[in-house]
Amino acid sequence: MKQIKRMSLLGLMLMLLMQTAWAAGEDPEWQNILQKAEGQTVYFNAWGGSDVINDYIRWAGAQVKEKYGVQIKHVKVTDIGDVVGRILAEKSAGRTAGGTVDLVWINGENFRAMKENGLLHAPYTQLLPNYRLVDTENKPTTLMDFTVPVDNLEAPWGMAQLVFMYDSAKVAVPPRDMHELLQFARAHPGRVTYPAPPGFHGTTFIKQALLELTTTPEALAGPVAESDFAAVTAPLWAFLDELHPLMWRNGTTFTTGASEMKQLLNDGEILLSLSFNPNEAGNAIASGELPDTIRTYVHKDGTIGNTHFLAVVFNSSVAEGAMVFINFLMSPEAQARKEDPAVWGDPTILAMNKLSVEQKQLFENFPRGMATLSPGELGKVRLEPHASWVEALEKAWIARYSK
Amino acid sequence: MKSRLRVFPLLTLSAFCVPILLGLFGTWLPAFGYLPAIGAEDFNLHNFRELFVHPAFPGALRASLISGFGATLLALFCSIWITLSIYGSLLWRLLVRLLSPLLAVPHAAFAIGFTFLVAPSGLLVRCISPELTGFAAPPDWQTVKDPYGLSLTLALACKEIPFLLLMCISGLNQLDIRRTDWIGRSLGYSRVRIWTRLVLPRLYPQLRLPVLAVLAYSLSVVDVAIILGPSLPPTLAVLVDRWFNDADVTSRLLGAAGATWLFLLVACSIGLFLAAEKLITTCAAGRLVNGSRTTVLDKVRWLGNTLAVAVMAVSALCFIVLLIWSFARSYRFPDLLPTMYSLQFWTKGLDHATEPLYITFVVGALATCAGIILVIGCLENEVRMQQRGRRANGQQIMWLVYMPLLVPQIAFLFGIQTSAVLLHLEGKWLSMVGIHLVFVLPYIFLTLSNVYRSFDARYMQVAVALSGSPIQSFFRVKLPMLLKPVAFAMATGFAVSVAQYLPTMYIGAGRFMTITTETVSLAGGSDRRVIAVYALCQFLLPLLVYCLALFLPAWLFRQRKAMQN
Repeated sequence: MKQIKRMSLLGLMLMLLMQTAWAAGEDPEWQNILQKAEGQTVYFNAWGGSDVINDYIRWAGAQVKEKYGVQIKHVKVTDIGDVVGRILAEKSAGRTAGGTVDLVWINGENFRAMKENGLLHAPYTQLLPNYRLVDTENKPTTLMDFTVPVDNLEAPWGMAQLVFMYDSAKVAVPPRDMHELLQFARAHPGRVTYPAPPGFHGTTFIKQALLELTTTPEALAGPVAESDFAAVTAPLWAFLDELHPLMWRNGTTFTTGASEMKQLLNDGEILLSLSFNPNEAGNAIASGELPDTIRTYVHKDGTIGNTHFLAVVFNSSVAEGAMVFINFLMSPEAQARKEDPAVWGDPTILAMNKLSVEQKQLFENFPRGMATLSPGELGKVRLEPHASWVEALEKAWIARYSK
Repeated sequence: MKSRLRVFPLLTLSAFCVPILLGLFGTWLPAFGYLPAIGAEDFNLHNFRELFVHPAFPGALRASLISGFGATLLALFCSIWITLSIYGSLLWRLLVRLLSPLLAVPHAAFAIGFTFLVAPSGLLVRCISPELTGFAAPPDWQTVKDPYGLSLTLALACKEIPFLLLMCISGLNQLDIRRTDWIGRSLGYSRVRIWTRLVLPRLYPQLRLPVLAVLAYSLSVVDVAIILGPSLPPTLAVLVDRWFNDADVTSRLLGAAGATWLFLLVACSIGLFLAAEKLITTCAAGRLVNGSRTTVLDKVRWLGNTLAVAVMAVSALCFIVLLIWSFARSYRFPDLLPTMYSLQFWTKGLDHATEPLYITFVVGALATCAGIILVIGCLENEVRMQQRGRRANGQQIMWLVYMPLLVPQIAFLFGIQTSAVLLHLEGKWLSMVGIHLVFVLPYIFLTLSNVYRSFDARYMQVAVALSGSPIQSFFRVKLPMLLKPVAFAMATGFAVSVAQYLPTMYIGAGRFMTITTETVSLAGGSDRRVIAVYALCQFLLPLLVYCLALFLPAWLFRQRKAMQN
């Protein structure tokens, strides 16, 4: 009996071994990448404003160090746009190898800028074994980043959707669209604010407002150059002009991003906050950063959703190490951990129907806290405007309000 | 020995002159439109025109001028008033003892503590809420990041007062205050009159350069202004920093123009200060001997005590509020103390901060060691030259030493960065230590030079007579006897290196994450509890080194009574 058990165990292990050998042996190119990656040190330039995310990156780095011998160094940046500028300067200075940045966490206008300027590594995501598990069919934003084709130049990492937060102990009914927000600000002067563009949270809020308020939403799907910017955005500026005097600090000062908003919400200085992570409130309640009366809500006609990506830089000398890291970050193991609200709470990019039963199990049984909305409650996801709108909106906002 | 020593002034000069001049030219060229790396190759004034019409420019300039001049004048006034009212008292002695730790506090950590203190949800409002104020939610007050930069001004002034006080002390040491005081009093002058008529005119020349350094620093500071300064628009220096780092690389030209403008602004401000000084001396010359014995200012002498206590209290409270936040788990307004405590942010934070702390320590230690060797070499050379009857021009040397403190960092770091990229030197240990050395050198020189110059030469004469070797005498007699001031100067240099934010950012290429760069980037909007842990680490590292500098010599010479003090 014992013998049989041992035999079957052996058989199982053999099968497993064969399976991995088959999976890996299938693609000599990937084998080659794995081999080259060993011992490389990858400088991963990523937004470092969230402690939760920094911890997750640290965990993932330790995993790939152990599994593949790749060392990850997280360079915490405040705005990834800065890094794009530096890479461009390196390219202009003729540095085509040995760049200081290997891997970046980007999307939207920064991706567009890198793509247009040829700052990205040759298309590579098709080489990554875990890319096959991505839900490209039901998540169109994994293929079109702010309507710009991804073309295998960047690997999807996570899904984001703009959500708002309020303290149910202080606010009975949160505003469900921009008009209600204005009324809310009138009723609670000095207790509403939003982050300043060009920080990405601020820019997203502006885009959300524009999508809700403009009379010609179809213009936003195309490049900004093809439409009458002044006419399309006029309702937005009218709205902001009315909102700002009612805001926190009379609209003369803005927050830097969602993290600062969260603190002010905890202090009770403001009544509404926002986040790009639908699980942020639950996560912050768990860590004691927010009280357990905080709830999440979205605007009734839907909020902006997008995908955030990982891209290898053209002059990186450790592209293989970066790819191995990316492949790990896309693995069911890493994606499931990322989706756990107790860890980060960032929704996965993987398709559940492409996973094995065991892999699927990793994604089940997350405790969904009181503060987290169900997929149904999250409602419709609105697509990002074309990437070119970002810069135009930011420039116009700064010219109007940065005085 | 002679010829070898002569190398040191040359080496030291080039260690900071070459990078600064290179950096300045490397910034001026793109300011006038020449930056071949991004395809700009013709000289023009276009960037300056664009700078002047930029919507954020007037507001940024206003905020810079207010915080620059405001902080300098406030710090100068307060430090002089504190000195004149409490010099020699018990409080004065306490203050003097606390100066080194106060000086060692990095600006960024201080600014973060200051924010946690004075913000509408900060400790001060919590102290009196809701009992006295009735606030259940923080008031909508603009006590930090106000558009005029007033909170920035106040924080900068608080941070600079200890520095100017230290400079007052070292200036006073060179004057015979006790006798001045006797004579003054025997002639019936009031305390304030003695100081304004007899002491200050002789003290100010000693303060001139430090005050100008404070002015240049306050006009161009970036890290403190990011944390405490206005955001829309920020101060000019922060705006320039943003342009240099913008995703749109053509913004670098605008940044270079802004940096050049800031350089001119600082130069003009220094000129203005010197002219004002001249004007005041000329106008007041007659009044100095008008015989007036008292002044209404005597009635507000007590203000000095209050100010001294306030300066110490603010720093102590900054430290305490950081401590509270670092141990907090749940800490909501208007609770005075956290309702729940946790050690998790310390265990996690210390784990995460290990690498930045290590990098900070190594860069600081290397720069300090290089700095102390260069400075001792220079001073020894000077002493030997003096023995041969050649005197160096002290005033000129001082202006040179102060150069890295008078030229705004943001005005030349971009030029160094582009040069470093061209030479493939960015993000290397060598360039990192080199750029820190530029700022460490002057402080080491300032802290060590007076003591070193006043070392009794007869010790060396005896030692050389006995051993026959100047080198041996130097290492076995002079250096051990000077170990205490040398260790103190090294601790000062180290503290300066720890506090460097911009140089690390511009030359480190993101590969050198020091505790300071991490703290400032976290301060941009992370969890306050995490920020507090990082700020405290930044606080404690230089403090530890100061303690080491204090106790190591005492321990080493524990059996030599005469060297205990």
